[in-house]
Amino acid sequence: MTHGGAIIWAQWRTFCHFNPRRGIAWPVLVNLIWYGLWAGAAYAFLRVFSNPAEAPVIRNALPGGLLLMFLYWQVVPLLLATTGSSLDLRKLRAYPIQVNELFLIEVLLRVTAGLEMVLVLAGLTAGAMMNPALAKWSLLAALVYVAFNLIIAVGLRDLLGRLLARKRIRELAFFFVILVAALPQVLLARRGMVGPRLRLLLARDSWPGWPWTAASNLILGKDFWPALAVLSAWTGGALLFSRWQFARTLAFDSDAASAGDSRAGRRSGWIEWFYRLPSAVFKDPLGALIEKEFRFLLRSPRFRLVFLMGFTFGLVIWLPMVFAQQGPPGGFFSRNYLTVVCVYSLMLMSEVCFWNAFGFDRSAAQFYFLAPVSFRKVMAAKNLTALFFMLLEIGTVTAVCALLRMPLGVQRVAEAYSVTAVVLIFLFSSGNLLSVRQARGVDPGSSFRSGAAGRLQAMLFVIYPLTFAPIALAYLARYAFGTQAALFAILGLDAMAGVIVYRVALDSAVRTADLMRETMIAVLSTSDGPIAS
Amino acid sequence: MDQCDGSPAIEVRDLRKVYGDKAAVDGLTLTVPQGCFFGFLGPNGAGKTTTIKMLMGLAPPTSGSIQLLGLPMPERSLDIKQQIGLVPDESMLFDRLTGGEFIEFAGRIYGLERGMARARANELLDLFELGNIPKKLIAEYSKGMRKRVAMAAALIHRPKLYLMDEPFEGVDAVGARLMKDILLDQVRHGATIFLTSHVLEVVERLCERVGIIHEGKLIAEGLMADLRGTAETLEDAFVRALGMEHASETLDWL
Repeated sequence: MTHGGAIIWAQWRTFCHFNPRRGIAWPVLVNLIWYGLWAGAAYAFLRVFSNPAEAPVIRNALPGGLLLMFLYWQVVPLLLATTGSSLDLRKLRAYPIQVNELFLIEVLLRVTAGLEMVLVLAGLTAGAMMNPALAKWSLLAALVYVAFNLIIAVGLRDLLGRLLARKRIRELAFFFVILVAALPQVLLARRGMVGPRLRLLLARDSWPGWPWTAASNLILGKDFWPALAVLSAWTGGALLFSRWQFARTLAFDSDAASAGDSRAGRRSGWIEWFYRLPSAVFKDPLGALIEKEFRFLLRSPRFRLVFLMGFTFGLVIWLPMVFAQQGPPGGFFSRNYLTVVCVYSLMLMSEVCFWNAFGFDRSAAQFYFLAPVSFRKVMAAKNLTALFFMLLEIGTVTAVCALLRMPLGVQRVAEAYSVTAVVLIFLFSSGNLLSVRQARGVDPGSSFRSGAAGRLQAMLFVIYPLTFAPIALAYLARYAFGTQAALFAILGLDAMAGVIVYRVALDSAVRTADLMRETMIAVLSTSDGPIAS
Repeated sequence: MDQCDGSPAIEVRDLRKVYGDKAAVDGLTLTVPQGCFFGFLGPNGAGKTTTIKMLMGLAPPTSGSIQLLGLPMPERSLDIKQQIGLVPDESMLFDRLTGGEFIEFAGRIYGLERGMARARANELLDLFELGNIPKKLIAEYSKGMRKRVAMAAALIHRPKLYLMDEPFEGVDAVGARLMKDILLDQVRHGATIFLTSHVLEVVERLCERVGIIHEGKLIAEGLMADLRGTAETLEDAFVRALGMEHASETLDWL
């Protein structure tokens, strides 16, 4: 690890310089809180697993628990577009570093995508080792299972990363991943279909050839040698697969993969018509600004990915809740499915549309300060663009729901759209403020990387409850008065209050942008170190 | 100063790089002898950066072969990279390191012992007049300062071959003079330099051999004097080679 030491040292220095004025206290605090919660969960697992009386429960639940850990580690980060830290190969490829060494660092960096699971597994393992009813091989099982997860995560990430970098098949590949990831939970929830068979994955009798079952058997002291052989085989296979994928990523030419052919220009007449649509509705400079936003967003892989997620993953992730509801039809999730999915889609889109509007479009930020256009108009253009794409998104969600024969009616659609509109007004207000106060450069070409800094994520913990409070009030009114009119009346009041908040926030954002222009431009022109997150 | 007669430091045969259906580099064949200061010129989008990226191993060629210092690329890429110094485009710098930290990092990656890397980084910082701002992050550097840092990092392991993409871009006159002196000194000590630049005056003053690339093809290559021929300056020869003598005709409304 000669070079590894230098890379880790450079990354440590990068971390120390994260915010020279504010220091590293804030990100450290946010991480302490988040991982502190998981450490608490780990302690709870330790208590449960160390109790001999809980052995029967542990035997039943462990394979399923380890499978869920695997999914949390491998699938969830990909779907939430937050895959932790990884080597910035673009910057490191030029140096004389052994591929094996880079691969080892990359494997270790995969811990950042599932540190929560490492904590939980540590608690679970420590508890199991203290439990006389469980085997003493827990530590070995946990170590091999962690290694398996780290190694396979590199291969999956690299494979998906290259697929997503290829023009045309990017969205198709992502759609496939969503289906693969979401299908089991949908089928599990559909009782009487494939559910029982799939539920076996989670039960103690699941096939012993799965890595999670093998790890579970090792911890439980069942079939030691076969279980060890199975887990080792999976880990060895993962190593071969991931090393192969890593080498391919290293040799991958993203410029060539994303290059289109020159004939595309002639075929895309209707796209050009779509781009020019805002200029037909709004006068310049507003029309020109919105048109530019249209072009930028639709050409950004990250935006397209999130937009696609809104009406695919957004729909699928809530389906099991509907299927899983006991009792007569018309439970909460069935009745409010469209509303829930619309709001969820909005939250997904928020990252690329308004939380960090200038960071996402960093190359244009300086131009906005130089051009003879008021900053208010620039923000209005960004908000109008976001509004347009949100309408398109929830329209698509509604159409897909109709195709799936979900229960829809005028009233339900009206309710979903009203709630989404109110949430949108409040989120725009916060987004405008955060876009100027917490601007941070993001690569719109990257489909994976998270756009939210730790500080912003922490703020969202406060912003979301505040935003949803007026909505909760409206539902409370419907519950109290037993009429839908009460809901719409309160939503109407919410909307009026939202418009006032929006105007005040917009004024404040414009003033702040004027005061902080130098800082904003400086912050938006920086990029990461050797390891990007 | 006619040192351009050694064994080849760079040998490129029929190099091609295709993006989509467009060839950014189209059948480039070029030899740069060791100890030579070679200028690679061309208008915007001609294929200069693509060529240098392929030489650096950052972009695999679609076809053709590359040999650097007698070793095939990419088969012996690790051995090659150990012996070359790179001044790539600015995106290769780590913005949230200070200049000294980045140079030290580069030194350690090239295999220097940590103490030596730090000592050389400090000396290079002073040489490039960046030592008076040790705490400043690269993100806060001007364009010229970033180029100086990149060059300092390229020098730290005393390479035999330098590949430089627009090294003088944005550098002030004093900095450019300093960089030129250092590079000429390196060539005197046997190093080979391959650089791309838009500043033809600099190329004219420094380079012994020049190649001109246009639309992915090498349209002229040879000793500076031969290439200039009857033209007064390299700029005249360059414009003539590209067939753009009449490009200065302006638009009616302008």
